[in-house]
Amino acid sequence: MSTINFAAREINCKIVYYGPGMSGKTTNLKQVFAKVPSHLRGEMVSLATEDERTLFFDFLPLDLGSVQGFKTRFHLYTVPGQVFYNASRKLILRGVDGIVFVADSAPNRLRANAESMRNLRENLAEHGIDVKEVPMILQINKRDLDGALTTEMIRAVIDPRHELQWHEAVADQGRGVFETLKTVSRLVLERLAKGQ
Amino acid sequence: MIEPSLALYGESFDQVETYLEDLLEATGVRYCLLVDRKGFVLSHKEALWAPRPPALDSVATLVASNAAATAALANMLGERTFSEQIHQGEQGAIYVESVADVALLTLIFESSVPLGRVKLHAKKTIAALTVVMQNLKEAPVIKFDADFGSNATALLDDLLG
Ligand SMILES: Nc1nc2c(ncn2[C@@H]2O[C@H](COP(=O)(O)OP(=O)(O)OP(=O)(O)O)[C@@H](O)[C@H]2O)c(=O)[nH]1
Ligand SMILES: [Mg+2]
Repeated sequence: MSTINFAAREINCKIVYYGPGMSGKTTNLKQVFAKVPSHLRGEMVSLATEDERTLFFDFLPLDLGSVQGFKTRFHLYTVPGQVFYNASRKLILRGVDGIVFVADSAPNRLRANAESMRNLRENLAEHGIDVKEVPMILQINKRDLDGALTTEMIRAVIDPRHELQWHEAVADQGRGVFETLKTVSRLVLERLAKGQ
Repeated sequence: MIEPSLALYGESFDQVETYLEDLLEATGVRYCLLVDRKGFVLSHKEALWAPRPPALDSVATLVASNAAATAALANMLGERTFSEQIHQGEQGAIYVESVADVALLTLIFESSVPLGRVKLHAKKTIAALTVVMQNLKEAPVIKFDADFGSNATALLDDLLG
């Protein structure tokens, strides 16, 4: 449930970018930070190792404006994708309102994509949530790679029943970044409007 | 969903504001925040003389994440929780303590402010805030109009093109 602050008339939604290590989660946030006008976003906070791998999370707040008198904000987070940082991933999922699953199109990352999705389900289950309850979008990133796998193949391992909306992306060139964020934001707001 | 939002509004919100203001005055700290466990600012007060605060969103996020990591660490070591956290620098310090397991009282102050005084008053405030937090009622349901969706979509178009 989004945090609704009645006193300050604010609605805060938490959107988490999930996916295997190096799939481009942090790159998505950097692109959003670079392209959204500065008065509509806050500072980006990155807790990363020296070689720029996410250690705990990245964070970027965005102001949507007022919807029905409520100042609406999105808090974007990334998780660390590397397998051994699972304790941190679990903490970041706390209170999540929407998820962007960033998949990697590289042929040698197919299994990592599948494992990360399984890990997401397990971590949500530990918080008592069924993955189907959370608005989720699939972003198939790194479409520019030579030998990129087909989107069919990637969807077959991540979302075999084809339940998720998806976008192709080349995040480091900004392609597909806003489209993805817009789709997930819309799902989160629709859910909010339904009072869930 | 994962965690219900804290319905801090109306009378209970006013009470929290008053407690924070009193604390600010009694201790001489710069900024005083109540942050929920998800990292959102529930209420904040700053001293009249204080310079412009740092980005409070970021402060709240880091405070909540830090507390979450510390709590996870406590669990691994077989503790229910670790008590308050204090980080002291050359110029200033930050003090964070849990309120009824649902929120975090966060105080930011200069080194010249005696830590003992901060702790003493913070404990009293936490006792008072705990009562408020334990008596929170259900959040009122917001009825969004039929055009909520189209308004939101228009704003998303503005923001993200
Ligand atoms: N070729 C290509 N490279 C990309 C693309 N998107 C991101 N990258 C690069 O992939 C590398 C990893 O990107 P990050 O955004 O740091 O990956 P991450 O998912 O945050 O990784 P972790 O923090 O370890 O989980 C960087 O060198 C990016 O520049 C893309 O669409 N195509
Ligand atoms: Mg990263």
